[in-house]
Amino acid sequence: MALNSSSTPAPETANAGSTAPSVADPGLRPGLALAVVAVGVVFLSPFAYVVWRNVDLGTDLGEIIWDANTVHPLRRSLWLASTVALSAAVVGTGLAWFTVRTDLPGRRVWRILAPLPLVFPSFVGATALLAGFATGGLIEEILSPFGIDALPSVRGFRGAWLVLTLFTYPYVYLPVAARLSALPPSLEESARLLGRSPWVVFRTVVLPQTSSAIWAGVLLVFLYAVSDFGAVALLGYDTLTEQIYADRLFNQPRAMGLSLVLGGVALVVVMAERSLDRRRQQVEVTRSREALLVPLGRWTPVVWLAVAAFLGNALIGPVAVLGFWGWRGLTADVETVGLSTDLGALVGPTINSAEAGLLTAAVAVAVVLPVAWATARHRSRLAGAANAMVVAGFALPGVVIALSLVFWAIDAPLISAWYQTLPLLIVAYVLHFGAQATRAARVAVDAAPRRMSDAAATLGASRTRRFVSVELPLMMPGLLAGAGLVMLSTMKELPATLLLAPIGFDTLATEIWNAGDSGALAQSSLASLVLVALSAVLTWAVVLRRIDNY
Amino acid sequence: MTNSKRLFGVLLAFIFLATACGNDNETTADGGTSESITVYSGRSEDLIQPLLDAFTAETGVEVEARYGDSAELALLIQTEGSSSPADVVISQSPGALGLLAGEGRLAPLGDDLTSMVGAGFRASDSTWVGITGRIRVVVYNADLVDAADLPDSVLDLTDPAYAGRVAVAPGNGSFQDFVTAMRNELGDDDTLVWLEGMAANDSPNYPKNSAIVEAVGRGEVEMGLVNHYYNLRALEADPSVASVNHFLPADDLGALVIVTGAAVLSSSDAPATGQQLLEWMLSESTQGTFAAETQEYPLRDGVASPDGVPALDGFAVDTIDYDLLGDGLTGTIELIRSSGIEQ
Repeated sequence: MALNSSSTPAPETANAGSTAPSVADPGLRPGLALAVVAVGVVFLSPFAYVVWRNVDLGTDLGEIIWDANTVHPLRRSLWLASTVALSAAVVGTGLAWFTVRTDLPGRRVWRILAPLPLVFPSFVGATALLAGFATGGLIEEILSPFGIDALPSVRGFRGAWLVLTLFTYPYVYLPVAARLSALPPSLEESARLLGRSPWVVFRTVVLPQTSSAIWAGVLLVFLYAVSDFGAVALLGYDTLTEQIYADRLFNQPRAMGLSLVLGGVALVVVMAERSLDRRRQQVEVTRSREALLVPLGRWTPVVWLAVAAFLGNALIGPVAVLGFWGWRGLTADVETVGLSTDLGALVGPTINSAEAGLLTAAVAVAVVLPVAWATARHRSRLAGAANAMVVAGFALPGVVIALSLVFWAIDAPLISAWYQTLPLLIVAYVLHFGAQATRAARVAVDAAPRRMSDAAATLGASRTRRFVSVELPLMMPGLLAGAGLVMLSTMKELPATLLLAPIGFDTLATEIWNAGDSGALAQSSLASLVLVALSAVLTWAVVLRRIDNY
Repeated sequence: MTNSKRLFGVLLAFIFLATACGNDNETTADGGTSESITVYSGRSEDLIQPLLDAFTAETGVEVEARYGDSAELALLIQTEGSSSPADVVISQSPGALGLLAGEGRLAPLGDDLTSMVGAGFRASDSTWVGITGRIRVVVYNADLVDAADLPDSVLDLTDPAYAGRVAVAPGNGSFQDFVTAMRNELGDDDTLVWLEGMAANDSPNYPKNSAIVEAVGRGEVEMGLVNHYYNLRALEADPSVASVNHFLPADDLGALVIVTGAAVLSSSDAPATGQQLLEWMLSESTQGTFAAETQEYPLRDGVASPDGVPALDGFAVDTIDYDLLGDGLTGTIELIRSSGIEQ
């Protein structure tokens, strides 16, 4: 078997069906083609808006791009995104393997905790990190009796890299964990029977088979890091998004020009990743019931401590800081603005956040599945273009996505009646976060081998029946992983929610922001904690329970 | 595949057509009153909502409020155009209101309303009126800074003695308003010299006032240029924190009063009701509530300032006349950027 390299695929795992036509597949049925085109057009609309604004404002793109005030922030954006993508890939893949395929003690608990750091809005995560690690912060206070009175500064690149890595690695972790849980254990078992160490098994068996899922996650991490504003602003790392933010109102030609640059960067990255992806061998897998676990042996304590230390920083640390602030408010004798708390006021926002998150996740998966299907199965160029639009939408700032919807919807017949209602808000979320579902859906489609569907066809099963009873169950882990990512991102989304939510539709994210904005630190922290708890419950109930068949 | 391309074209054309057709459904109602109005507020919910509820209880007018960032709400109104559901906008940044006024999006307010506040606290063309004010201060860490080292003027901060010690938020609206006021008073050349001096001093950058106050409280940086009430909030949350407000002399540029303003949109179909709400916000009892709840300055003549802050009367640099600056805040942002103060 193919133990040593991905370049020697075992005959039965090569996806013969999808290697033949590299141009548009003649088998793309009209219904599927129509769906792909419709999705592509809708996802094109934010870019069309940005282009139109640039034309309308007479933006001199050349002057903006070659200005030193653009070149340096752009370079910083790319450097930050690349380094974060690399570290998130290492951490996310490692954590996924340790928690899914080894006998790591407490792995079921780790599996629930590992995706959660994604739910911290990055400004909350950065605030908590600063409170903990910055000069004069909590850690320094704790360490000062031991003679340590100056921690290395977490401001600037180091802090931004750390915060973004800690809070984005789940983009890699979730698809890789889903992929690993669907991999047949036979290869790993054979390797282990041959006496290979866990590390060799990981490198020669696991890594090649998960590379598609890793790339899916790395792309999302890169685009998130490029578009993030909250963390880089708080940590003082001047990237392109900071420039867009400063210019958004009073220098709109430049803000829109830079948004176009950001969209262009995203498209280039998406297409580069896609061409890499084309050259990768597609490994088919069938789902097996029992995945055997790799024994870590004497490495157990080391790995356990490493996992605990990492999740301690990414999840438990920020939760502890938020818990401290919230507890200070709940137990205060004197109620002032900073300490006022009202847990009852969080009930409505909790329901709204859950509703928006679940609806958006379902819609996003349904919307991007045709694109993923046409891309993976038919290698359709049309679907490739639609896919690029879907993914690049993730790199545009949330405000730009929201304004583009305002622009297209407010005066449009039929659609305008939905303006600032939940359906249109969900469209905004799907436009922004559809990328997270489409990459996972792509991985999911790869996991549903064509030959099984073909076999069912020879038995007389209709297309619909084959899809529902053969392919959908095989794709479920991947689709749910994508849905989980969309759900977590939606629940923390702020700028589009503020502009497009129905009036009175408060979410936990708007509550965190509202309370934080007026200096009510305790209430803001409690809302953050509720958001983390809600995310944990929903991630487990909707995603993990079904992926893992606990 | 050509079929698919054609389909794409048709769909795109449909979207553009649908948008183009919709542009003429503008409605203007006569009378200008309504039983319900919509407010876009850049001021936070827990301050504004209780006031709006009281307004509804007194007048029977229902108020729907959308809360958000002042600049982003201005962008929203700008993009919505004449179909905007908003009747009234409340903004923490007078600059955002000035932008909307410049695009003809704000309706002129009556003299009865605008004369409730001093001339410095309203637009010269009566398109917006100030509701409350906050004052720029130097917040400092009392454990790290000797009171004798505090500056007498914001202009002193370019002295090498302050190198690396004074935090700024160059991307923040209040800092931009302050620099705009400086351009008004000193001209662009001297303003640039001051900004370059701050840059040469490696003044640490933060994204906003509250982040500076937190950093000063921790001792991460010794001093910072902020608005006065953030530190009052920080002290409420933790009375032991070492950050203290230093109020600059009343005639100093650094003691600028920044206005939270409100306006009625020209696209509103209930401008009279919108104006009624603004009049109510400037009533003596509502102004007293603002002073007590947020420690902001009430702007209505004759209403007392909050405890613990200097009285407003003495301050010479009261607000910014954006009309004096042809390029408004765009020029300010360019000046800030070209100075190198952003790091």
